[in-house]
Amino acid sequence: MTGAATAARARAVTGAGPAIAIAGLVKDYGSIHAVRGIDLEVQRGEVFGFLGPNGAGKSTTIRCLLDLLRPTAGRLEVLGLDPQRDGVRVRARLAYVPGELRLPDRLTVAQLAESFGRLRGGFDPDRRAALAERLDLDLGRPLRDLSSGNRRKVALLLAFLPEAELLILDEPTSGLDPLMQHVFLELVSEARAAGTTVFLSSHVLSEVQRAADRVAVLRAGNVVALGTVEAIRGRIRQRLEVWFEGQPPAEALRALPGLTAARLDGDRFSAVLGGPIQPVIELLARHPVRQLLVQEPDLEEAFLDLYEEDA
Amino acid sequence: MMAARTELLRIPLRALRRAGVAWSVVLVLIIGATVAFWPAFQGATSIDQIFDQLPNGLVKALGLEDFATPAGYLRGNLYELLIPLLLAGAAVVMAAGQTAGEEDSGRLELYLAQPVSRVATLLGRVLAGLAWMVVVGIVVLIGQLAFDAIVGLRIDTGLLVATVCLCTLLGLLHGGLAVAIAGWLPRPSLVIGISLVVAICGYLVGALFPLSDLLAPWRHISPWDWALGGDPLVNATDPWRFLALAGPAVLLVLVGLAGFARRDVRAA
Repeated sequence: MTGAATAARARAVTGAGPAIAIAGLVKDYGSIHAVRGIDLEVQRGEVFGFLGPNGAGKSTTIRCLLDLLRPTAGRLEVLGLDPQRDGVRVRARLAYVPGELRLPDRLTVAQLAESFGRLRGGFDPDRRAALAERLDLDLGRPLRDLSSGNRRKVALLLAFLPEAELLILDEPTSGLDPLMQHVFLELVSEARAAGTTVFLSSHVLSEVQRAADRVAVLRAGNVVALGTVEAIRGRIRQRLEVWFEGQPPAEALRALPGLTAARLDGDRFSAVLGGPIQPVIELLARHPVRQLLVQEPDLEEAFLDLYEEDA
Repeated sequence: MMAARTELLRIPLRALRRAGVAWSVVLVLIIGATVAFWPAFQGATSIDQIFDQLPNGLVKALGLEDFATPAGYLRGNLYELLIPLLLAGAAVVMAAGQTAGEEDSGRLELYLAQPVSRVATLLGRVLAGLAWMVVVGIVVLIGQLAFDAIVGLRIDTGLLVATVCLCTLLGLLHGGLAVAIAGWLPRPSLVIGISLVVAICGYLVGALFPLSDLLAPWRHISPWDWALGGDPLVNATDPWRFLALAGPAVLLVLVGLAGFARRDVRAA
């Protein structure tokens, strides 16, 4: 065994070092470059958001971490181990929710949980019952009868049941109603409190920003931004719409820093805000405002700046 | 660890239950329907006289020699083509479904994300398919013996056991081919298509090559010739024939395992 491998195993045992370390990860499918050289580290015990639009390379990266895909180049370490060489030991310590969820139709929820329990060396039936109740999931129902939202809940049940050291969740809340999204955030928060590392991929900014400590933003196979949620949010545009009582203060509005696409339309002013919001609020406070709307942009729009910076 | 391995076998065993039962029922029905007509053909030398008017090679190629004898009747109607081909179909469809089919549908991914190795996962599926093929083979044998007893078709049990065993092994060889392809190429339609084309070509080589003096020596490249070339319903089977089918089947599975351990797992 090499010195590096010995050190990696020692770290794995002691729990030191990052939960996930990705260095120069490249994954090509023929001429398609799905991941073009990702470097990032996820610390133990942190909730890490992995954001990007569909096709950015999130699932490809995750599937490399699970050794479902073999990287074209680069080094991966999960919980101090090489996922390709020590795949079974790595996967014994993590739980995963796939983005595209396909379940065996003929089993009931309880049977599937038991089957996965046997694959993982046992499970706690009390915890299964408690999780099923929180997720409002009927354990006796056959999987083929479940709606896509309920199937998603089954995936969450399977992920949170084993109390793994690392949770890798690929778009875990797509198809869940707001109530269940709330339950999910609670489960993530409890997992974090118990010391679990959570790697949470999503194309929805609001989902990640409520749960994550740090975020990496992916675009076309590259990390285009990496930092705390606050730092990333500060770099994201917001859509601003104001309806004034009477004539808007056109000159003062145009002089505001960080505004683009500014438009005056009668008593309505609209713009995209890329800078600090404080000067806007100060200006508006001095004028009679009938209505104010600051909208959360969708991901493509929100990260336009990041993408343009990257380009 | 042991519980995980047992589970990797239990999952495909359960998933293949319907297929295993369905193939067994179909085969038994075909055997029953065929054997039911035996009393009408028994000792009917006129049938053999009709076949005698056909070119000898053609009669042989179609397995229609001695049609009025029990061995000739069963060979011509069931064990020359139908039973081995259906057993090959069963093995190929079950193998493809549990490997390339499950992978292509995305259901395999959730299992491979658990603390199990790819080789153990695929091997569990291969062994489950093997177990079901053994069940189907035993059902064929018992069904044949039962129907024979009912209509009074007298055939040596030992020869019949060897014949069903050879047919099952021939099926397993094609199932092994399906695993070999699926190990490298997770496309179920391609896996089934190639394996069945190979099975049909093997039959044609075994049946038609002997008609040509030029091609006759090449009939031995066909697994059908290894399985049935010794006329197992009439003659005792040489042990090498069993090994000639089982050995390559195991090798093909190993080829599939090697491919599956190496490549990317297909996403849903």
